[in-house]
This record gives sequence, structure tokens and C-alpha cells, in this order.
Amino acid sequence: MKKISLFALIIVSVIVFITGCEKKLNLVNPNAPTTTGYWVTEKQAFDGSTAMYSAFTVDGTYMRSFPGLTDSRGDDFVGDSPWADLVLTGKFIIPSTSGPVQWIWRDHYIVINRANQVIEGVGKMDASILSDDKKNRILGQAYFLRGLSYYNLATTFKFAPILTTPEFDRNPGNYPATATEEVLWNQVFTDLQAAELNLPISYDNVVGPDKGQKGRATKGSAAGLLGKSYLYRKDYAKAALQFEKFITGPLQGIYSLMPNYRDNFKEGVAFENNSESLFEIQFAPGGSTDNWCCEPNSGWRQWTSVSITYGMDGKAFSDYLPTRWIYNEFKLEPTITGKSDPRLLATIASYEPADNSITAYGGTWTNPLTNIYPRKYTNDGLGPAFEAFGGSFINYRVMRYADVLLGYAEVLNELNRTAEAYPFIQQVRTRATLPNLATVKPNMNQAQMRDQLAHERALEFSIEGQRINDIIRWGWLYNATKLAELKLHDTDFTSWTPGNEYLPIPQTELDLNKNLLPNGAN
Amino acid sequence: MRLTCQPVLKSTVHCLLFILLLIIANTTSAQTSRNFKGVITNEKGEPVPGVTVELKGSKITAVTDASGAFSIQANEGATIVVTSVGYTAHQFILRGENLQSLTLSSSAQNLDQVVVVAYGTQRKKDITGAVAVVNVAEAKKYSTSDVAQLLQGRASGVQVNSDGQPGATPSVRIRGFGTFGNAQPLYVIDGVQVGTVVRDFSPNDIESIQVLKDASAAALYGSAAANGVVIITTKQGRKNSPLKVEYNGYYGIDKVWQIMPVTNRANYQLLNNEARVNAGRALAPGNNPASPKYITAIDTDWQKEGLKTGNRQNHNLSLSGGGEYNTYNISLDYFDNNGTYVGNGPTYTRYSARVNSSVEKGIFKIGENILYAHSNENLLTPTTGNDLAGALPPLINTLVFAIPTLGIYDPARDGGYAGTLSTVEDVISMNGIGLNSILKNYTDVDRIFANVYGEVQLLKSNGHSLRYRLNVSYDKTQARDYGFKPSFDLGYFFQSPIAKLNDNSRVFTTGLIENTLNYQKNFDRHGVEVLVGQTYQKSTSLFRNGYAEGFTKPYYPVLGGGGATSTDASGAFIEYAKASYLARINYNFDDRYLITASARRDASSRFTSSERVGYFPSIALGWRLTNEKFIDLPKNIVTDIKLRASYGKLGNDNIGDYQYQSVLNPGVVYTFNGVRYVGAIQTNLVDEKIKWEDRTSSNIGLDAVLLNGSFDFSAEYYNNKTIDVLVGVPIPLLYGSLNDRPTVNAATLRNTGLEFSATYHKSKGDFTYDISANLSTVKNEVLSLGANKEPIYGVGSITRVGTEVGQHYGFVYEGIFQNAAEITAHAFQNIQTAPGDIKFKDISGPDGKPDNVINDLDRDVLGSGIPKYHYGLTFSAAYKNFDFSLFGSGSAKFLIYARLYRDLMHTGGSANYRDDMLNRWTPTNTNTTIPRLNELDPNNNGRISNRPDWLQSGNYLRLNTLSLGYNFRSGLIKGMSKARVYVTAQNLYTFQKYKGYNPDFTSGVFNPGYDDGSYPKPRTIMGGIQLSF
Repeated sequence: MKKISLFALIIVSVIVFITGCEKKLNLVNPNAPTTTGYWVTEKQAFDGSTAMYSAFTVDGTYMRSFPGLTDSRGDDFVGDSPWADLVLTGKFIIPSTSGPVQWIWRDHYIVINRANQVIEGVGKMDASILSDDKKNRILGQAYFLRGLSYYNLATTFKFAPILTTPEFDRNPGNYPATATEEVLWNQVFTDLQAAELNLPISYDNVVGPDKGQKGRATKGSAAGLLGKSYLYRKDYAKAALQFEKFITGPLQGIYSLMPNYRDNFKEGVAFENNSESLFEIQFAPGGSTDNWCCEPNSGWRQWTSVSITYGMDGKAFSDYLPTRWIYNEFKLEPTITGKSDPRLLATIASYEPADNSITAYGGTWTNPLTNIYPRKYTNDGLGPAFEAFGGSFINYRVMRYADVLLGYAEVLNELNRTAEAYPFIQQVRTRATLPNLATVKPNMNQAQMRDQLAHERALEFSIEGQRINDIIRWGWLYNATKLAELKLHDTDFTSWTPGNEYLPIPQTELDLNKNLLPNGAN
Repeated sequence: MRLTCQPVLKSTVHCLLFILLLIIANTTSAQTSRNFKGVITNEKGEPVPGVTVELKGSKITAVTDASGAFSIQANEGATIVVTSVGYTAHQFILRGENLQSLTLSSSAQNLDQVVVVAYGTQRKKDITGAVAVVNVAEAKKYSTSDVAQLLQGRASGVQVNSDGQPGATPSVRIRGFGTFGNAQPLYVIDGVQVGTVVRDFSPNDIESIQVLKDASAAALYGSAAANGVVIITTKQGRKNSPLKVEYNGYYGIDKVWQIMPVTNRANYQLLNNEARVNAGRALAPGNNPASPKYITAIDTDWQKEGLKTGNRQNHNLSLSGGGEYNTYNISLDYFDNNGTYVGNGPTYTRYSARVNSSVEKGIFKIGENILYAHSNENLLTPTTGNDLAGALPPLINTLVFAIPTLGIYDPARDGGYAGTLSTVEDVISMNGIGLNSILKNYTDVDRIFANVYGEVQLLKSNGHSLRYRLNVSYDKTQARDYGFKPSFDLGYFFQSPIAKLNDNSRVFTTGLIENTLNYQKNFDRHGVEVLVGQTYQKSTSLFRNGYAEGFTKPYYPVLGGGGATSTDASGAFIEYAKASYLARINYNFDDRYLITASARRDASSRFTSSERVGYFPSIALGWRLTNEKFIDLPKNIVTDIKLRASYGKLGNDNIGDYQYQSVLNPGVVYTFNGVRYVGAIQTNLVDEKIKWEDRTSSNIGLDAVLLNGSFDFSAEYYNNKTIDVLVGVPIPLLYGSLNDRPTVNAATLRNTGLEFSATYHKSKGDFTYDISANLSTVKNEVLSLGANKEPIYGVGSITRVGTEVGQHYGFVYEGIFQNAAEITAHAFQNIQTAPGDIKFKDISGPDGKPDNVINDLDRDVLGSGIPKYHYGLTFSAAYKNFDFSLFGSGSAKFLIYARLYRDLMHTGGSANYRDDMLNRWTPTNTNTTIPRLNELDPNNNGRISNRPDWLQSGNYLRLNTLSLGYNFRSGLIKGMSKARVYVTAQNLYTFQKYKGYNPDFTSGVFNPGYDDGSYPKPRTIMGGIQLSF
């Protein structure tokens, strides 16, 4: 009997214990908020808006590879690296399996995904939680960042699929299909129009936690990039309307050229987010985990490795070199005081005793005296004795007011208003202390003005990720005379074959997504 | 020492019985009962203490004392059973003699051997599932820090791969690739599930190892058992035995014997110059005889400079014994292994202490096992991190890749070690010696593993037996991961002007409580055993990461140390819980028909509530043919034959926690106006409906004992099918998920295979020997990969439906272009393709047929990365006082993608060259399969393909241990019962064609044939001593 009661006691205690167990299996992740029930507070809306921008500071966006692989395809820049991808890109024979090519694709779509999350999540927030004013600002930024991403994809890959929601369809048959070039650009226009509509001119006087937050996209960012997009697509009438907003319209007087050209490529509050800047990517010190890619954390760094990639032999990796052609192009026209164009020494590190420039990184010029290296976006002359790994925080300027001026000039020329183009070009030339174009080259016809603008753009925007885009949109690669010139500028163009001016669609994406089309570079 | 005895059914002639009679009244029998005394000795006449002697059909037991003597109350003619876990059990009939001396003679295998199985023990002859018993005594001759390594080549169907650095954790796979996730088996030590890492347990403490391979054997571990279960039992004290003191120790030296043939300075410069000239680039100044920077004085042999002689030692002291009601065992262990790389790592040191004891009185029994272990592992400096750009191979390969024109030291650089310059060498080459000397990385681990159990005999009458057991265990591991990077400058790409410290800690706990009831009843010819139980387990993982940077010299490298300009903290906390019920019935009819049915129900926190519960049933049948009356085979030829078959289901929830929950990343940083803001957004896509992986396992086996027990043979066939395999199925990058492979239940896998094991034992006079061998085959097939059937790509590999996991995948080599005409005639490869480049086969195009263009559509399957056969061979012999053993193991029929080899056969890049490169194509050396050098490699000759030597045969046979020992006679020193000295050569030689280090490297699941660079297994020569008092 005793044994039985002991047995019963144990059985009962076991049953009591067991029934308690299953409830203990509902474990809540204590490390992060779950998506269910998110997007319900104002703070969440602003946190989301901040998180979108972060994806522009990684390798495949503005931290390294996107500027590098874009610059290297221009006739002003060549790869000089033991890392073959960087050289092959400039030669237009980069394989579709290249890592950096894939990162550019990947990281731009990460921005797009985050913008889509914000558009969906913030878009359905009630005015009682988030005022319309704040909501519009946040949505405007999402549209802008998405538009900028599609703009970069269109200029880099020619065409690509469009995603406008964060929804994920697991069925491979429904994977997003390639949008035509036309449709892709229309998405750029739509996004930038929505952005321009919703964004404030400045955050200085807004009401909300974003007050004073320089670096967020503004109405000017959207209006300018939209104008440039129309220009790229040769819709000159619409481009003119956009650029005129800066000249005579609501954005008049908001922007101006910095007196010193080099200030556009320096770090520090005096130079970053300056009066010439329509939009720039913010890099800043702090943090411990490198921001090449992958899962961010609160200790993430935000450094740019463009500087150490571009910087000269002995001071940095020197993965790229300017071409001798662009160097000579700068030397074609002296300033009004008979010196070299000041943009030469802001763009290229070169030993120039005649211009009182014989140092590198604040010290003796140690390389062969005839060598030339990139200086734009490096810290050469800005303090450091060499490019420290993880030690550069120069904001990347996505669009400057000079682009508005030269863009408007180009639009006017294309609209057969060539004479009207002179003053806008001259603003840019005057900052470079070059003589009056109307005096030096008066009464140019449309074709002559095109060549002049090409020259002006080459000098103003060299090593700013623009040159290959200009070459493509002007059709030079398919014009035998121009192609021959390009080959003289940069022998890399001898291995160009039609279609290869773009980066190939990443092979892994083509493998996975049967709705995706290869482009001419695949 | 082999503690075995001839079974009674053979003959009593060999086992002379002397019994001392002592009469005690027996209430249940009219027969007179008396006290029988006996002495158990081994073949050499030495007494064997600690052997359990049980009167058959009762609970009356006795244990031999230090002189091997026992006494037991029994009736004349009763049968006693002599058992001991890990050894063999035997029956004797008590006859009229006064004193019995039972001589135990060795036997290869024995049917009455007791084997530890899930939640209990079973006689080997009653086992119906697939259970492999490891010969622990032989296995322990291999020196290792990790118990799991002992399984290599010792059990059929168990594949062990590992690298050769101190503290290396091997990868163990049982019966092939059944999952895409963590495929390590479950380890159960003394009845407690301890997860998938057992490095903290000293091999010296192990008494027995069993591997449960099929669903029937493993089903009681349900959702944790899909990858198989390894059951380890540690040494326990024995009842009624005086204190026994044992010492085991060895010391050995380690040396890397595989030296890669790489070019010296002159040849390196020749090849590098040729590569640059062919690419139209100027020579690197350091390699240019015309340059003032031309290097002639440096010709570093990195392997000679960077590899050193390592050493290892192990000392173990154990004290054990027991009284009438109790047992105890205390063991202290020290293991130390200094690696073979010059600099701070790798090394591994472990101190451990184990205590266990048990007490029983009346119906109660309680006991405990407690382990404390402390280890320190100096890791070989990792090659990822803030200051090391790019995807670098493991540091061991750096000694092979480093260019000979780079010196080792440079006092002018921060840190004192040399590095390359873009203006001199113009290559990115890592000074591995420098990096491994400057950076300090170690992991300290403290582990406490405590297990307490209690048993109550609730019922014992009329042949009924009912026992309740409560098992409670707690396992806590605390690890500190320390990494300090002083400021350093190793040149181009490898530099940090800022001193940085990572000081992280990980704390893992697991609590387990198990309630089981065990009922047994034997009646007539029936034997029934029923087990029911309930368990609850909870685990937590805590990660705390501290970071500081900007330390100034002299360094105080702790988080609060002087001068740190910036600090950062992060961390995470993870919980996991599982609640389960289990049940098993064993039924035995007349020792002829055996049935085992078992089931487990698990509910796991790793899945959403609707997918949480899994059921894992199994059934197994056994038939002992030789016990049938109608089968009449001569017992001295066919001693025993058993046929068995099993079918059942197992699960796998080993996928990480919270995987079904979509979360936001609350740490997404950006800066506005110079101020750092932390945003939040969803960065990863997840599948919220993930559920268990289910493995259905069928097993058919034959166990045969032949020639009176001298030949033992087992054969099995298995067919395992895993459905709902959780796999990270790649999704297009355009979905913007940082994790572009969210985990889903997508795949179905099947593994089939045959396993054979055989042991032959022969004894003749002073000479005895054992030969044992095992062989297993694995055939893997992917039956589905989800709805889209989209292949999964690994490094040079493809996993797709209808074939095995991770086949090599790439371009097909067709030869070398010898002239421009051949290039024109061939499909277009690249505008700069030139003579000396590789010709790749035009296989397909956008329309599915050859399109005269070589692009990614021309990739094809190039071979298998999974070995088809694994085998192990052991020969052991003893003659008089000498003993000898030889153990080899190997695998066959697979191809390896050797990163080490390919990186040395580069055309551009930043490494030294293998000597083979001297035979590259040049206009004057055209009869070769090695393409021309061109730094830019425009034809992409280095692409993943099957060009000669790009895939290498992985077949190998390694001589793992060769050991020779000498046993001194007992009593040489007063009180000493045993003294043995031995020498062992470990990893003596590997027969291989493979041009990398280890053909049994560890690898990722989707590229099993990809050797990213594994640490070479050193050759070890060691000497040891074993003493017991």
C-alpha cells in the first residue's frame, strides 16, 4: 500500500509538472521588435526614414564600388590594381560573376526595399499619429531615394526590374521581370516627381525630430535629379522646366557655387552639405563594425573607402589612375592669371612646380615626378600623411549645382537656344578663373557648343561617376569618329564591344530569376 | 586489457569453477542455498577487479575485489552472469566445487555484451536497431583534444573530417547528408544530451561509445536525433573494490610533413614579370632588374620560416572504487597542444576534473556526474576583420602564398614585421608570421556539467519490476573571446594605425529534467520492458560584446584600459525550450523474436505555435535464426545469426532560434548634420511557417557471430529520406533582403548506403591478434528543392534535383589554344583571348543549344564532391609482454576543388606560384595543359572548370596510428597492478594524390568538395606510460 501511494504521488507530481511545460514554449525574441504591430508611432516612422539612407553607405553604393566601377569606365580613368575586377571593368570585359558588379546591384535594391517599406508602413499611418506634414517629408525622402536607386541602376545596367512594394512573392514564376529601359526611366521620373512634391526646401525650420538634419533629401535634390534624368533621356523641354526652377523658379537663390572648387570634396561641416550641394551621402567617424555590407548594428562605422582605393602609390592602394588625356585636357586652357585650371590640382595629384604644388599628402612627392594620381575624394593635402584604413569620411556629392548650370546650358543648346547657354557655362568657368567663353569662343553653333559642353563637363565632373554616363547618352560609342577619339583618350576603349558600356546583370541573379533579361554586357 | 570470458554454451572446460559452499535459507525455494566464492582472472592469470557478478533471474549481485575475488549466495546449479559495461557478459553454472577460478579469455565480440542505448542498456544480441559500438580501447590510442575525433574510421557509416590545428573541432556525419543545416550528431553523455560539441570532455574518461544510426535506435531522442546520436558513457567506480589509482600520460612532438613546392625568388620574379608583360603592364619595380628597387637579397622560404615543431602532452590521474552500497570515481586531466605555426597560435590547453559517485540502499539509488573543464585556445589569427580586406584564405595558406621577395622583419614598420609596397613588390601579400605574432586572439572556456539522478524501485514482486527515475542536469559553458590588435603596419591592405580590442563573452546554459518509468516483466518465454517518460529542456545563450579602440602605447589592453578613445557594446540573448514525452516497448519472445517500438513527441520553441509539435515513432523487428529449432547449424561454425529491420521517423530542429519571426533591425545607423542617428527597418525576409525536418529511416541488418565467436560480422542497408529539409533557398538579390537565403522547408533528400563491419580474433599460445575492418557507402540524392527546383550554388558547385548535394560545377576544359586560327575557329571567349589560353567547351546558349559564345550557360556538372566509400582498418596484436596496433582509414571516389592549389596556379593575383607553373604555356613550351601567364587573365583561365588539376582525386588512406607497447609484469613495484609503456606514431603518412593538405578537410554543406584551406594534420611521434595501483 505504501508503495502504491508513493507511486501515485509521483504520477500526480509528474502530471502537474508536464502541464506547465508547453506554455513555456512561447518565447518572445528579446533582441529586436517584430514586424507585427510595427509602423504605429512617429518615432518608428523617423527611424525607418533614417535606415533607408544607411544602405547608401555600403560597398555596392557610395562607399567604394559604385563610384569606382563607374569612374573606371570613363575615358578619364583607368584601373591599375592587382584586383583584376577593377581593371577589367574599365576595359569593358568584366565577367558577370564579378563580386563588385553584384554588390552594386544588391545594395541599390536594398535601398529600394527599405524605401518600399517606408512608403508602405508610413503611408498608411493615421494623421493622429503622424502629421501630414511629417508624413509627406518622410514619404518624399523614400520616393527620392528609390528614384535615385533606379536612376543608378538605369545608368549602370541599362534596364532592371522595378519593385514598388516590400512584398515578397516566393513563387519563382512571379519573380520581378526586367522592365524596359523606357519603363525604368518612367519610374525614375514618377518617383522624383513625387519626391519633389513632398519634400521641403530645407529642414532648418521644419517641425519635428528631423529639424536641422542636413543631409536629408530636399525639394532641390529631387528637382535637380529629375532635370538631369530628363536630360539623360533627351526630354529637353521637361528638363528645361526643371532646371528653370533653380534659375527663376521656387528654388532660385537656394543654391550657389562654392568659391573654392576643392571645397566640394572635403570633409567637415564647413564643406559638407554646402550651398552647391543638392544631395550627398554622409560619411562620418565612429563605430566599430565595418560598413562594407551586411547586417548593420548600432556600432556600425560609416567610413568611405573611395579615398584609400583612389589615393596614390605609397599613400594608398592606387587602384585607379587618371588618364593622360584628362590631364592634358585641363592644361588646354590657362586661367586668366596664366595658371593651370585650379580644378586640375583638385582632381589630379600631379607634380606642378609652376603652380606651386610639389607635395603629396603634406610631404615630399615620393613618386616619379611625371606620375599622376587621382586627388578628388582623397585626403591628399587635407591633413593626413596617408590614407588610413577606415579613416576617411568625405561625403560623396551625388549632385552639385554646377550640374544644374551645365545641364541647363546643354538643354538650351539642344533647344536651339545656343546663345543663351553661355552665361550658365560661364558661371562654372568663372569659379575656375577661366576667361569669358563669350569672348574666347563667341557665336558657337549647336555642334560646336556640344563639343564645348563635353569639354566643360569633363573638367568639372571628372572622377565624379559621370563621364561614362555622358559618353553613353551622347552616343559616342556608336559614332566611329568619337569612338576613335575615345580610344586615343584611353586605350581601355579598344576592348569595348557594343553593349559592354554597361555593367553585366549579375550572373547569380540571372541564374535565379528566369524573368530577368541579360543586357548587352552579359 | 580485454575482460572477456568464454560463454557457457561453448564449454566449461576452459572455465574451471571452484565454489566454496555456504548455506543460506531461501524463502522461495526448497533447495539449499549457500555462499559460492570465486576469483576472476584474465588470460595472463592476473586478477580482474570490479566485475559485476549477478545471479540470473534475481537481483542478487556481487562485485570482484582487488584480488578478483567475489562471493555470492546461490543454489547449486544456478547460473551467474558476469557483466561489465563496455566489456562482455558471460554466464557460468555454479557446481559443487568449493572454489571457482574463472579465467577470462579474450573474445572478439560477444552476444551478451551490454550496450548503452537511449534511456537504458540492452544486451547486444537483443538490439534491433542500427547501433555501432566503438572499440574505445583501440580508439583512445589516437591523441586528440576532441572525443568526436575518435570516431574516425572506427564505426561504419560514421564520417569524421577535421583540420589539424590544436583544438580543432571535427565535423561528424552519420549516414551522409541528411540536412542542409547543422549535420553534427547529438551527443549524449551519461544519459544527458549535451549538444553537438564535446571538446570539453577528456577522451581518457570514456568507458564506452555507441553510435545510434537508425530511427529505431535514436527515436527516443526525437527531434534532436535526425543526424544520429553518439552515446558516451564515462568511467564509473565499481562496488566492493578498494581504491584504484591510475595514471596515463604521454608526450609527443608534432611536425607538418606536407610541404608545398613553391617557387623561389628567381622563379617567382620570372613568372610575375611574364604575367605582367603579357598583360601589357610595366614590371613591378621589385621584380625589374632595371629598377633600383629590384629585389635580389630576399628569398624567403615561408614554409621553412613559419612552420615549427609543435608538441602535445596529456596527463590523467584517476581514483576509483566503491563499497557495498556506493561507488566513486575522480579523475583529473591535463591536455596541452602547441601548434606548428610560428607566432601566437594555434595552441590548445585543457584542464578538467570529473567526479561521479552513486549510493544505493533498499529501493533507492542516487548518483551524480560532475565535470568542470577549463580550456584556453589560442586561435590561429583569423583572416577576416576590420583591417584585413578581401576574402582571404585561412592563415595557414599564407605561408604558401606569401611571395619570396617579401622579408619577414622590418623594424621600420609599426609592429616590426615586413609588408609589401605598391611601389616595390606591387602585390598584396600577407606576412602570416607577422600577423600571427602581432595579433592576439584566444578563447577561454569554462564548463560545468552536473547531472544528478535518483531511482526508486516502486514495485518488485512476482517478476514485475517498476522503477522510477528522475534525472536532472545543468550544463553551463562560459567562453571569453579575446582579440587584441595593436596598431600595426604589414603593408598594402594590411594595416591599422589604431589599436583595437574585442573582448566578448558567450554564456550557454542548458537545464534538463527527465522523469521516466521503467517496467519489466519476464514470464515463460516472454520478456517485456516498457519505458515511458517526460522531459523538459531549456537553453539560453547570452552574447556580450565589448569593443574599444584607440589604445596608446604602452598598451593596457582591457576594455577600460588606458587611452581608448572609443568604446562600443553589443549583445544578444536567446532562449530555447523543448517539452517532450517518450515511450518504448521492448518485447522478446523466446530469444527468437524481438520487437522494439518507440515514440517521442516534441514541442519546440523554435517554431510558431501551429507548427510546434512533432511526433517521432519507430518500430523494429529482430529474428534470431539460430535459436529456431528447425535451423540446425553447427554452433562452432555458425554461432549466432540475427536478422533485423527497422522503420521510423526522426526530426531536426537544429536551425537556430526565432527563425520564424520577422524582426526589425533596430541598429541601422546614419549621420545627419554630423550627428549619429540609429534607425530601424526590416533587413531580412523570413518564412514564418517553417516546421520540423522529418527524416524517415529504414534499416535492414544482419548480425552474425561465426566460428565460436572468433568472427563477428554485421551488414546493414539503410534508406533515409528527409522531407521538409530546412534550407536557405536563395532568393533574388532584388528583394533587398540582407539574408538572401531565407530558411524554408524546401528540400527532400535521400541517403542510401551499405555498411559492413567485421572482426576476426585469433589466439594461439602467447600470440593473439585482432583484425577489424569497416566499410560504408553513401549515395545521396536530392529529390526536391521546393516548388521552384532552383539549384543551389556553392563555391564551384551546384545542388539540384535528381543528383547528389554539391556536385562540382563549371566550365569544361577542351585544351589550349595554340594559334590564332584555333581561336577564330572556336566559340568566342574573349576579345583578348590569345594562344596559350584555355579552350572551353561550348555547351549551350540562350536557346538551349551551343551558340558559339562561351558564357555562363556553358557550365556543366564536373564530378562529385562526396566520397562514395569510407573505410577503416585496425590490426592489433599481442605477443607475450608486447602489444602492437595499426589503424588506418580513408575515403574514395570523390573530387576536390583545392583552393590552395588553384590560388598557387594563378595568372595574376598576389601570391607565389606552385612549381608546376614553370611548365606553363609559352610560345616555346606548347605541349602543356597549363595556360599562359597574363596578369589580367582576360580569357579567365582561372575560372571554375575541370582543367587538369583544377579538380583532384580525393582518394586517400591515412595511417592514423601505429603503436607499440610493452607491459611490465604485475607487482614489479609493490602494489602496482599494471605498467605499460608505449610509443605511437600518429598521422604517419597519407597515401593521396591530392595536392593540398587534408583530403578529409571540413567544408560547407553545399560545396562538400571545396577545400578552402585546412590546417595540415601534423605527424606526431609520442611516448606514453600507463600505470595502475
